[in-house]
Amino acid sequence: MAERYRADILVSCLHDRAPDLIPNLKAEVIRRGLKDEVRVIEAGCRGFCSMGPVLLVEPNGIFYIGVQPADVPELVEETLVKGRVVERLTYEEPTTHASIAYYEDIPFYSKQERIVLRHCGLINPQSIDEYIAVGGYQALGKALISMTPEEIIDELKRSGLRGRGGAGFPTGRKWEAGRKAEGETKYVLVNGDEGDPNCFMDRALMEADPHSILEGLIIGAYVVGAHQGYIYIPYEHSGSVKSMRTALEQARDYGLLGADILGSGFEFDAELRLGAHSFVGGESTALMHAVEGKVSEPRPKHIHTTEVGIWGRPSCLNNVKTLSIVPEIISRGADWFGGIGTETSKGTQVFSLAGKINNVGLAEVPMGITIRELVFDVGGGIPKGREFKALQIGGPSGGFLPASLLDMPMDYETLADAGSMMGTGGVVILDDRTCVVDTARYFLDFLRDESCGKCTSCREGIRCMLEILTRITEGRGEVADLDTLETLGHVVKSVSLCGLGKTAPNPVLSTLRYFRDEYMAHIEDKKCPGGVCKALIEYYIIEDLCNGCGACRRKCPEAAISGEKKEVHVIDPALCIKCGICFDVCKFDAVGVR
Amino acid sequence: MATLIIDGQEVHAEEGQTILEVARANGFEIPTLCYHPQLEPYGACRLCIVEVIRSGRSRLETSCTHPAWDGLEVKTRSPAVIEARRVILGLLLSRCPNVPVIQELALEYGITEPPFPAEDPEEKCILCGLCVRTCHELVKADVLNFSQAGVERRVGPPFLEKTRQCIGCGACTIVCPTGAIEIVLQQAGIYKEKPLGPTAAIWVPSLQAVPNVPVIDIDACIRFRQNDRTEGEIADACGVCQMVCEAGAINFDQQDEVVELAVGTVIVATGFQMWDPAQLSQYSYGKSPNIITGMEFEHLSNAGGITSGEILLADGRMPERVAIIHCVGSRDHNAHKYCSRICCMYSLKQAHLVRDKTGADVYEFYMDMRAFGKGYEEFYERVQEEGVAMIRGRGAEVEVLPDGKLRVKGEDANLGRLVYVDVDMVVLSTAIEAPHDANQVAALFGLSRSEDGFFAEAHPKMRPVETNTGGVFLAGTAQGPRDVPDTVAHAGAAASMALALMDQGEVTISPAVAVVDEELCSACKTCISLCPYTAISFIEEDNVARVNEALCKGCGTCVAACPAGAIMARHFTDLQILAQIEGLFRVPA
Amino acid sequence: MSNNSFEPRIVAFMCNWCTYTAADTAGVSRMQQPPNVDIIRVMCTGRVDPTFILKALALGADGVLISGCHPGQCHYEKGNLNARRRVTALKPFLDAVGIGQDRLRLEWIAASEAPKVTEVIAEFTDTIKRLGPSPFRRRLEDTKETKR
Repeated sequence: MAERYRADILVSCLHDRAPDLIPNLKAEVIRRGLKDEVRVIEAGCRGFCSMGPVLLVEPNGIFYIGVQPADVPELVEETLVKGRVVERLTYEEPTTHASIAYYEDIPFYSKQERIVLRHCGLINPQSIDEYIAVGGYQALGKALISMTPEEIIDELKRSGLRGRGGAGFPTGRKWEAGRKAEGETKYVLVNGDEGDPNCFMDRALMEADPHSILEGLIIGAYVVGAHQGYIYIPYEHSGSVKSMRTALEQARDYGLLGADILGSGFEFDAELRLGAHSFVGGESTALMHAVEGKVSEPRPKHIHTTEVGIWGRPSCLNNVKTLSIVPEIISRGADWFGGIGTETSKGTQVFSLAGKINNVGLAEVPMGITIRELVFDVGGGIPKGREFKALQIGGPSGGFLPASLLDMPMDYETLADAGSMMGTGGVVILDDRTCVVDTARYFLDFLRDESCGKCTSCREGIRCMLEILTRITEGRGEVADLDTLETLGHVVKSVSLCGLGKTAPNPVLSTLRYFRDEYMAHIEDKKCPGGVCKALIEYYIIEDLCNGCGACRRKCPEAAISGEKKEVHVIDPALCIKCGICFDVCKFDAVGVR
Repeated sequence: MATLIIDGQEVHAEEGQTILEVARANGFEIPTLCYHPQLEPYGACRLCIVEVIRSGRSRLETSCTHPAWDGLEVKTRSPAVIEARRVILGLLLSRCPNVPVIQELALEYGITEPPFPAEDPEEKCILCGLCVRTCHELVKADVLNFSQAGVERRVGPPFLEKTRQCIGCGACTIVCPTGAIEIVLQQAGIYKEKPLGPTAAIWVPSLQAVPNVPVIDIDACIRFRQNDRTEGEIADACGVCQMVCEAGAINFDQQDEVVELAVGTVIVATGFQMWDPAQLSQYSYGKSPNIITGMEFEHLSNAGGITSGEILLADGRMPERVAIIHCVGSRDHNAHKYCSRICCMYSLKQAHLVRDKTGADVYEFYMDMRAFGKGYEEFYERVQEEGVAMIRGRGAEVEVLPDGKLRVKGEDANLGRLVYVDVDMVVLSTAIEAPHDANQVAALFGLSRSEDGFFAEAHPKMRPVETNTGGVFLAGTAQGPRDVPDTVAHAGAAASMALALMDQGEVTISPAVAVVDEELCSACKTCISLCPYTAISFIEEDNVARVNEALCKGCGTCVAACPAGAIMARHFTDLQILAQIEGLFRVPA
Repeated sequence: MSNNSFEPRIVAFMCNWCTYTAADTAGVSRMQQPPNVDIIRVMCTGRVDPTFILKALALGADGVLISGCHPGQCHYEKGNLNARRRVTALKPFLDAVGIGQDRLRLEWIAASEAPKVTEVIAEFTDTIKRLGPSPFRRRLEDTKETKR
């Protein structure tokens, strides 16, 4: 029996922040006698991380941020009973401080073109019915019944869709190669091993809209001629595992997996393969080894996996985002997709915004967006009004782009030319209080742990580059080190066995290219311009601003600050361990770093 | 068949070959560390990097893994390649600064010092994976694997704990390019020690072996051991010898073949074996690697041996003083009473060789110098003139001193004093004896053995090559100790007697056979079971026993046993023997 | 008759391959032995019929020696085992008829054991000397005639 609700509340982003929010809401709704009128739904990730938990009231489109259980009574009272907006719970525009109540007016969302994320936060991801209700599995039907694999390949090629896993390989060509590969038994695989430390869009997609991935997978299997699929997700990503597992069961129940799908005669089923998470585990050959039950170790790709993949058979591996786009292209056509983005990079990219940015979260925007637009329009700019220093894109494999490139449109080619890479769209914004050298060192440290250790160049090369960078951040660098880094970096890039090694030097090489002066400051002046490298900085009290409140003195763990009440305080450099607590605690910005 | 261009030269590649294989086959040098022709290429060390140009794009690729496709252009020594190899060697040297093979390779590319600090300067393992792959693909024991990742990666058995899966074959030790793996022999499974040091399980006993082909010791061979250990589940481990043999001469499935030949003459030439001096502890054999037997000395001195003929101590130094002790196990009531005949002369020869090759002082402890042959006495004199000290007195004891030197004690009968001499090497001239299976051979051919254990000849003076069994002859040391010229003569005699026998075509057999008087035979069948040659058969139709004269040897057992007196032994009839007896006691008339 | 001048007459049946050869070797090697033994060669001790032994004794032999290859080394495999059985069966008979089993000796002497031949002969001669002449012999001497 269909029930008509007059309002739906879609709640997203609960996790650690407010686990009781939904029970509270439901209880309040019942208490206010609205049980039959208002429905509370746990929707998937909406991508507005810094503002969570978020709540969307449909059909009005009222959007509340940072909702806590304590807010519930007022919310229900004002919005659901009286139809009014609770201003304090709405988004506040950073510069004008204006309150924006409606979802579609919020720049973070209005500037986005959500294709991959089209359903995220708008449906209950654990309901296949809701997915179908918003048009899900229509594309599958169209593909299986009225299109041939060749036609689908053609459509994908024309659309210009490139793999969203980082390499950007044209999906149409990959599936064509898979189709043409020799062999009766073929496989399609889903790469759910999101490895970049600052990326979370794959996870969001798997948890918020699992069926879109499945739909793309089944279409892919049909094109390639595979009857068995594997979805590889690290065991540790329990939310994604649970979500995809439920989706698989539901799809099977509805006959969308198994024999004779939708009466087309096509047979296909998929299962989860869980592995131990590692950064290198997301590399295609390493992933395939893990599916086979072996160690996640890559092999040379002279012969592509579309010819020789798991168990020696043709295998097509795609990222979750790529697969979720496919049904849309089938439904809306290659021309539609081709109309978005740039000449070489069609469609949209899901960026995860992190670092020194106001709107931390996921933003899907057309390819070709400039850095300036992404950072300031969509991202809401740099907090505390600080200056933009660099955009780091591509995760540990990517590079740094300076302020001089703020107006550069971003697509696969422009980013590669600039010494960086698109990667999976993980973006870190650095302001003037971050040290580029230290950040490069951080990525190298990450890569040192994540290297599988098979090939000499990656394993030893990263270790040695890290050793140099560490010395530089500790003030023990030499000018000759920069040439060594360049040489070493270029060799490691060209000689390593897999993508991890081949891109590991990127952070170093790109920072050397654009921020050589910062390196020189570390080496020659023994100073850290960003005020980060502990060995090279000094915390001091700005006399004009200090009013002697003593907050810093009380918090200093080393008792390095001395001063009388209401008198200017002083930091003893000999005792100071540069933890930065005083800097954080001072309400008057009286602590300086030099 | 594919065509590539390597360093400007056109070369051809077979299906499935890699660039490295084609390059090396055409004389191009490419350094490798983690490559082995019998293992799947791994691509870990990155040293075999070459520049590969395909469809206009140039990339650095590992030649060991990259297929040799048609139309590739390859550069093995372009500036980019040299630079890459130099950096990689610098990285390897920074990991393992004290490994000689890496130091040498690095030096070739101009690196004298590790460019980066080492985490562990004593590190030897370069994580090439050769040991892992050998243990997995060839030996199939699956003992070794990688664990942990990145710079923490290391090789070892599970949890780095000793495991009984390891069969102690030593393959990993041999294949490791840096010597990072040691095999602890005492704890290894079966590890055969061939003369003067372990060898591989397939080996040619010596350069003068006849036939001069390798043999596989199935107790040491990995394939057979794995087959046994896993009860046939792993039946195809290793087999590297078969893979590399171009003649395809190795067949693991050979079975013992039982061949039946009907022959009329047999020459027993089963030779001798060396007596084991460990049986008399005073010689301390086995307590020092520098106490060797005369036979082991021969292996050492052979130009095809492990030292290429140089006389060296176990640690590779040349000896300065050598003692040779005669009669070890011969002329000894605690071992063999007989004289082994050959030792005196070969000991003199060995003394001469030691003097000639090393100039060391040589002391010969002898009892009597048996220089019985042509030129032998003259040789003895010559050796004395070469300065070999002859001490007339049995070398009684060899003591291993704490510093490794060997003290030989004996009596110098000429001086009438006990003497001792400290030497670096002792050679024991050990007795030769009948082979350990002489009993079985004797039983086969009905041979008896003399007191010394060798096979008994028909008559010590008159019939040295014949035995009491007709048609069976003895040749060489099977009959007793003798040296080469005597063996040649002896064997020639046996051969000619055998030929003479065979040449006859028809042979006259002894007429002294048994014959049944069928009138008297009572068909009791007593005789039939008694005959050791099954020469008597019972003829049903005639109800009598009948002797096959060709089989009957004339022993007469049946004759004595026949209750009816129906069998007669020709030429040894009852009447004849009784007549003899009577003849003894007849009183002359 | 006094025993000092008594020279036993011993008949020895020796098998051709072992003991006869050993005796030949002993002779060739000039080994000394008492002259009291007359050797009758048979191919194998298994050829020795008990009647030969009895005949010899009946005709005046003081002792009979049968010697052949060691058990297991018989040239005809096991002929000597038959000899052993026969001698074992015959001995009680000799006791019973008053000859005494000590006058019959079975010995194994291999072809290489030449010294043993002389040893055994010397010993057996001694034994027979002590035993004195065979009872048959005295009677024969009395009759001074042998009949066939």
